[in-house]
Amino acid sequence: MEYLQFIVIIIFSPLIQGIIKKVKAAMQGRVGPGVFQPYYDLVRLLKKEMVISGVTSWVFRATPFIVFASTVAAAMIIPVITTRSPFSAMGDVIALIYIFALGRFFMALAGLDAGTAFGGEGSSREMAVAMLVEPMMMLSIFTAAIAAGSTNIAVIAEKQDIFYSPSHVLALSAFIVAVVAETGRIPVDNPDTHLELTMIHEGMLLEYSGRYLALMEWAHFMKQMLLFTLAVDIFFPLGIPAATGLPGLAASFGIYSLKMVLMAVLMAAIESSRAKLRFFQLPSLLGGAFVLALLSLLTYIMMGK
Amino acid sequence: MMNNEHYRELGGREFRDHCISLCRSGFTLRLMFATDERENEGCFKIYVVFSETGKDSFQIPFLKLKGDDLSYHGLTPDIPAVHWYEREIHDMFGLTPEGHPDLRRLVFHDSFPGDSYPLRKDWKISEAELREWGEGLVRKEPYHFMEVKGEGVYEIPVGPVHAGIIEPGHFRFSAVGETIFFLEPRLFYTHKGTEKLFEGFGFSEGVRLAERVSGTSSFSHGTAYCMAVERMSGTDIPEKAKAIRTLLLELERLYNHVGDIGNMCAGTGLAVGYAAGALIKEKLMQLNERVSGSRYLRGVNVIGGVTKDIFQYADDILTTLETATGDYKAFMKLLLGAISHVERLENAGQLSREIAMKLGVTGVAARASGVNDDIRKAHPHLLYDRLEFEPHTTTRGDVFARMMVRAEEAECSISMIHALLERNYGRELAAEVKDVSPHACALGYTESPRGSLFYWVKSDAEGRPLRVKLRSPSYCNWPAVPFAVHGNIVPDFPLCNKSFNLSYSGCDM
Repeated sequence: MEYLQFIVIIIFSPLIQGIIKKVKAAMQGRVGPGVFQPYYDLVRLLKKEMVISGVTSWVFRATPFIVFASTVAAAMIIPVITTRSPFSAMGDVIALIYIFALGRFFMALAGLDAGTAFGGEGSSREMAVAMLVEPMMMLSIFTAAIAAGSTNIAVIAEKQDIFYSPSHVLALSAFIVAVVAETGRIPVDNPDTHLELTMIHEGMLLEYSGRYLALMEWAHFMKQMLLFTLAVDIFFPLGIPAATGLPGLAASFGIYSLKMVLMAVLMAAIESSRAKLRFFQLPSLLGGAFVLALLSLLTYIMMGK
Repeated sequence: MMNNEHYRELGGREFRDHCISLCRSGFTLRLMFATDERENEGCFKIYVVFSETGKDSFQIPFLKLKGDDLSYHGLTPDIPAVHWYEREIHDMFGLTPEGHPDLRRLVFHDSFPGDSYPLRKDWKISEAELREWGEGLVRKEPYHFMEVKGEGVYEIPVGPVHAGIIEPGHFRFSAVGETIFFLEPRLFYTHKGTEKLFEGFGFSEGVRLAERVSGTSSFSHGTAYCMAVERMSGTDIPEKAKAIRTLLLELERLYNHVGDIGNMCAGTGLAVGYAAGALIKEKLMQLNERVSGSRYLRGVNVIGGVTKDIFQYADDILTTLETATGDYKAFMKLLLGAISHVERLENAGQLSREIAMKLGVTGVAARASGVNDDIRKAHPHLLYDRLEFEPHTTTRGDVFARMMVRAEEAECSISMIHALLERNYGRELAAEVKDVSPHACALGYTESPRGSLFYWVKSDAEGRPLRVKLRSPSYCNWPAVPFAVHGNIVPDFPLCNKSFNLSYSGCDM
C-alpha cells in the first residue's frame, strides 16, 4: 500500500491546480472554470495532434519524458500520507532538488532547441531565476535537516517536536518564496498571461503541443503539488503517521487533503494580492528570502531551537 | 458659425518656409494630407493644418503640384511630426517629398505593387490583380527592417498574429540582454482603404462608415465626421443635439479611460485590478446600450444632429453613474494601494516632453508628458465652451502618469455629465440639412478618448465627396511608442504599450 503513495501526487495534482484557479477566479469576482478543468485540458491535449518544428533535435522530443519521469521519481521519495516510504532510501532532500534541476535543465534546452526568440528568452530567464532559487531553497530546508539530524525527508517529517520556533518561521517564509518561484507564480512569473514577451515558464513550453504539452503540463502540476507536500512534510508534519494500515492511511489522507487545499488557497491569495515584479527586481525578492533562510540557520545554531 | 479655417496658397519653397516658421512660433501641427484635384484644377494639392496657440483658429497653408514634376520640398527634416504623413502621401498619391530621410513604404505591404496609387482619382484595379495582391503571393516591394548591429544584439520578432484577441501588428525588437535597444513597429496589416471608401459613399451615408473606423472611439469618429460635413454645408445644429453629442462623448471617454486603467493591470499581472476595471467598464457599456441601443454608441449621430433624445434616460444615467462612481473610487484606491502595481508603473515607458512635442503626440500620452493640449479647450466645439474643466497635465511622462491623467479625466467626465444633465436645451434633435455646395471643404474635430481626432472633407462639382481625410490619434501616437520603450526591459513592453492603448484599426484605416 505505502509503495503506491506517489500515485496520490500523479492523480490529484491537476485537481490542486483546478482549486487554485477556482479560488483566484473567486477573488476576482468571476465564477471561473470548474475544479476538474485541468483534467479535461490534459485529456484534450492527449488527444490532439502534435506540431513539431522541423529544426528541433532529439532533445526536444526527449524532454517531455525526462521532465515527467524525473518528477515521478521525485514523487517517490517524498512521504505523502505516511513516513514509511519504501523508496525514501533512494534519495534525500538534496537528491530531490537535483532531480528537479535535471528536469529544469532539459526544459531550458528544449526551449532553446526550436531556435525561437520566445523559447530562448524563457530559458535564459528560467536559469537566471533558478540560480537564485536553488541555494535559497536548499538553505531553508537545512534548518529542519540539522534539527532532525538527517537530510532524509521521512526522518525530518517524523521529528515533529522540534518545530514552531523562530528559526522555523524564518525558514518557512523563505521556503514559501521558493515555492512561488518554482511554481512560476506571481510575483515571479505570471502563469495566466498570453503576453509572450513577459513569459518565463510558459515561454519554454511555447513550441510544445498535443501529447508532449500534456506531459509537460502534468509534470508541472505534479511539481507544484510536490513542493506543497514538501512544505507540509518539513514545516507542518503534524498528522502524518508512520502507520501503514488502511484506517491510519485513510485518516492521514484526510489530513493531507486539508493541508493541500490550504496551501492552494494560500498560493491563490498570494497571487491575487500582488502584481508581478519587474524582472530585474527579482534578485531583491529572492536574495531577501535567501537572507531569511540564512538567518533561520544562524538562529537555530545560536538558540538551539 | 464662425469660420476658423484660414487657407493660404503658397508655392514651392515658400510653402516649406512658411510651415517651418509656423512650427517654430509654437503652432501645433494637426495633420497633413493631399488631394487629387486634377479634374478641376489640374493639380495635386498638399495641405498642412496648424492650430494657433491660445486662439481658436487653424492656419492651413497648401501647395499645388502641377504637371509631371510630382515632388516637393519635404518637411520632415525640419518638422519630424510629418514623417508618417509624407510617407503615406507618397504611398497613396505618388508625391515625393525631397529630403525625406526614410521613404520606405508605410501603408502598403510587400505584395502591393509600387507604382499603384489608390487615392488618385484615375486609379483602377483588375479582378486578377486584386486576387493576386489579396493572396500576397507576389512580393513586389520587399520591406527592409532597420538592423542594429553589434555584439550581443539580437532580434525578437513579435506578431503580426498575437496570442490575445487583438489586431495585427508586427514589432521587431533589437535587444541587448533584456534591455530594448531599438523597436520598429510595422502596422497597416488591415488597411481597409477607408478614405477611398468614403469617396464612394454619399456624405450622409459616410456617418455609418466613420462610426466603424475604430470601435472604442465610434462616437467620436461619428461626431467629428458629422461636424465636418455640417460645417461644410453651413448647417447649424440645435442646442439639444449639441448637448447630446457632448454627453455621449464624455460617456465614451469615461468607459474607455476606466477600461484602459483596468487593462494596465493585465500588464503588471494584477488580475484582481483587471477584473474590477472590466466590471465597471461593462456596466458603463450596458448603460450605453440602454440609452442608445448600441454598446459603442453607434447609430445616434446623423448629419444635422442626433436621432435619439438621450435626455429621456437622464435618471438611468444618473443612477448608473452613481454606482459606477462609487465602484470607480474603490477601484482607484485598490490600484494606488497596491504598491507592487504602482512600482511597476513608475518610471516605466518614459516619453520626454521634447519627443512628444517633436512627434506631434496627442491626447492622454501628450498630457502625461507635459504637453497641455486638448481640442476641447484649444478649439471649443459643441458645448465645451460652457463647461468648466481643465486639461490635466503632468510632466512625469511615464506609465504611471498616463494612468493618472486618465483617472483625473474620468472624474472630470463624470462631473461634466452631471453639469450637462442639469440644464434644459429645447426639443429639436436635428436641423434641416442644407445641400452641400460644390468645391466646398471643412474640418471636423473633437477630442476622442485617445486624443485629437480630425476629419477633413471636400466636395466635388456635384456636391459629392471628393476627398475625406481622417486622422486618428493612434496615427500620431504610434511613432512615439518606440521612443517610450527605449531602454526599458523586454518584459515591460506590454505594459508600456497598454499605457498608450493605441488602436490598430484606427491607424490602419
